[in-house]
Amino acid sequence: MKIRDFKWLFGRNSEFWPTNMKTGMWAWVGHRLTGIILVVYVFMHLSFLTQASLSHEKFDSLMQVTAQPAFVFMDFMLVCAVIYHAMNGFRVVLFDMGVGIRKQKLVFWIMMAIAAVLVAVGFWLLFDAGLFNGEWF
Amino acid sequence: MADQRIATSKVAGTWAWFFQRLSAVLLVILLAAHIIAAHYWHVGEEISVDTVNERLKNVAFIAIDYSMLAMVLLHGLNGTRTVLFDFDMFIKRRKAVDMGLWILGIATMIWGIIILWPFISG
Repeated sequence: MKIRDFKWLFGRNSEFWPTNMKTGMWAWVGHRLTGIILVVYVFMHLSFLTQASLSHEKFDSLMQVTAQPAFVFMDFMLVCAVIYHAMNGFRVVLFDMGVGIRKQKLVFWIMMAIAAVLVAVGFWLLFDAGLFNGEWF
Repeated sequence: MADQRIATSKVAGTWAWFFQRLSAVLLVILLAAHIIAAHYWHVGEEISVDTVNERLKNVAFIAIDYSMLAMVLLHGLNGTRTVLFDFDMFIKRRKAVDMGLWILGIATMIWGIIILWPFISG
């Protein structure tokens, strides 16, 4: 396997070069990336719970870790990935049913508007106690 | 258009495609249930081994967790399969990839069942 075998993926003339990508391609790439991240997350989640199930002390110390600002920020990144994947996935299902294909760009931006609202709700749920109600500061 | 889709439904990949959509819808529902059950069922309750044990006496919590994991694995590994098959080297070994992903999925499901066991029995 040589580097030039991947020209279709990384080359300046490939479909994936940022300036060559249009809305639908960005949506597809985002769906792939978030999908892979979420699969990796599931295994991290199971590893975490395995350690938490070992003893009372281990469980309590890990629960302390989950309340740390950095950990909550990672939770927020997870929420963003899930919401993007779900809303874009909903768009894919609509197209499979033949709904909205001719207005695919508009459908994408409607989905992203809904996603933005859901992300804002997620932000509030995750950070309200820490940032605005004195838990961290 | 619709007729053509029905005509191809005997191909194994079409089931994978259809199941990916079905599990996606189920996952949105299960994820909501999982988040509410884990974080909003008893707001303010201290999270400790004892309270988790108490919660997992309720079969609904166990059902949500285990069905969530099963759906996540089917959807996630089927998605991984789609990603892999965009590369020639994996589509040439379709059966090996399918078998590998099934083994990984079943092993992970067993792992997940074992993780909750101390909480359920404790």
